[in-house]
Amino acid sequence: MPDLIDGSENVSVHGIFNWILLLTIFSIITVIGNYLGYKHPLYDSFVGMGILSLITLAGVWMERYLPFNISSILYISVFGIVLAFPGMPTSSTVLYYVSHVELLSIVTVFLAYVGIGMGKSWDEFKALGWRAIVVTVLVIAATYYGAAIVAHIVLVATGVPAV
Amino acid sequence: MAIIPLKDDDGQVEHIYREKTDKRILKKNPWRDYRLHVTVLILVVIAELIGTQKIPITGDVAITIMPLIYTIVLGLVFYLAKPITWIQRKQARIAEGAMMLFIGVLIAKLAVSSGQSIHLIFEMGPALILQELGHLATILVLPIALLLGFKEEAIGMTNSIGREPNVAVVVDKYGFNSPESRGVFAIFIIGTVIGTIFISFLVTMSLSFLPLHPYAFAMASGVGSASMNAAAIGPTLAAFPGLESQIEAFAGFSNLLSFCVGIYIVIFVAIPLTEKMYNWLEPKIGKDSIAKKGDE
Repeated sequence: MPDLIDGSENVSVHGIFNWILLLTIFSIITVIGNYLGYKHPLYDSFVGMGILSLITLAGVWMERYLPFNISSILYISVFGIVLAFPGMPTSSTVLYYVSHVELLSIVTVFLAYVGIGMGKSWDEFKALGWRAIVVTVLVIAATYYGAAIVAHIVLVATGVPAV
Repeated sequence: MAIIPLKDDDGQVEHIYREKTDKRILKKNPWRDYRLHVTVLILVVIAELIGTQKIPITGDVAITIMPLIYTIVLGLVFYLAKPITWIQRKQARIAEGAMMLFIGVLIAKLAVSSGQSIHLIFEMGPALILQELGHLATILVLPIALLLGFKEEAIGMTNSIGREPNVAVVVDKYGFNSPESRGVFAIFIIGTVIGTIFISFLVTMSLSFLPLHPYAFAMASGVGSASMNAAAIGPTLAAFPGLESQIEAFAGFSNLLSFCVGIYIVIFVAIPLTEKMYNWLEPKIGKDSIAKKGDE
């Protein structure tokens, strides 16, 4: 069984410090990758990562401190959308700096951690057998195609031009 | 991190992401493991230097391999390779915990793109919402799972894509030691190991062979898993240059919907439907169980 369920901890000042340091490390690596892959200026993309890190920090902090059972993903999404909302005073600054961070640069770094992290499940994975692998692959494909085909039909039916 | 209806008697499963993150990140000092982060930096530098490669198959069909594939594969290889002694189980746990925090940065970037294109999201509202129902297509895999010899496990396996929120829902409904939970755990583990790489290739192939709307590809990449979402966006962005902000906006918003609306579709539609299908099909095509006896 995967170790999904652990005891929960309270967030201390020390914990927030850990979050900030981790986000800084993540930002530095992303900015370097972003520079090598897409030649974005280091300073602008670092400020962009700083903005994204602050949004993340606010989201994960609020998830733990506010007495609602709401995921940090929702907080982070709402902050991001509101800060970039056309007409918001923050919108042009946020868009300028964040646009210097390519999504794919973030993804590339993120997936390096995913790759190392998933190694932990390797032994359990090997024990599961080919039948379960076949079902998993089909389930992922079905989810993807199900959504793609429904979206396509609705887009065509509502007359959205295929740009 | 998903919102799962609270049950008073069982407060354990609804924050599996958070508890994992908290334990690894807040108690230990994850940043102190500098070799992990230096290794990631090296992987990223290698990946970006190799850059995107196109492998032509036929005249106009090519497989695109992006840096994100190199880092995920190299990360796994570094963990598994014996000579690399500084990336072990401990580092993998830290990486896993750190990843839960870094999902936030990814989500934030997608949210900024969504905010920028908010008018488009409203215009495409019907497609965005209805495509969430498309995820129900996983139930079509149920007969195949039955033919392969799965029993109640198949209910856990095919009701959804089997990521963290889905695992929590199934465990909550059937109990930790039920066959249904065994099924969803299997999908979870296999999806963790091969899901990201598999979906990247699946999307690359589909972009070449399926003449669907670019926005449909973007919306479909929001499968409800941040890493699979990320891996699916990569090739989509590369296939439609000039549509970056729209694709990011739709992909991000659709993944968000998968997290907050999708989970209720699973609870109220997918699981009951999977059970109905199972009760109808199992007597017809069910095989002898391949699962070990004795735990029923």
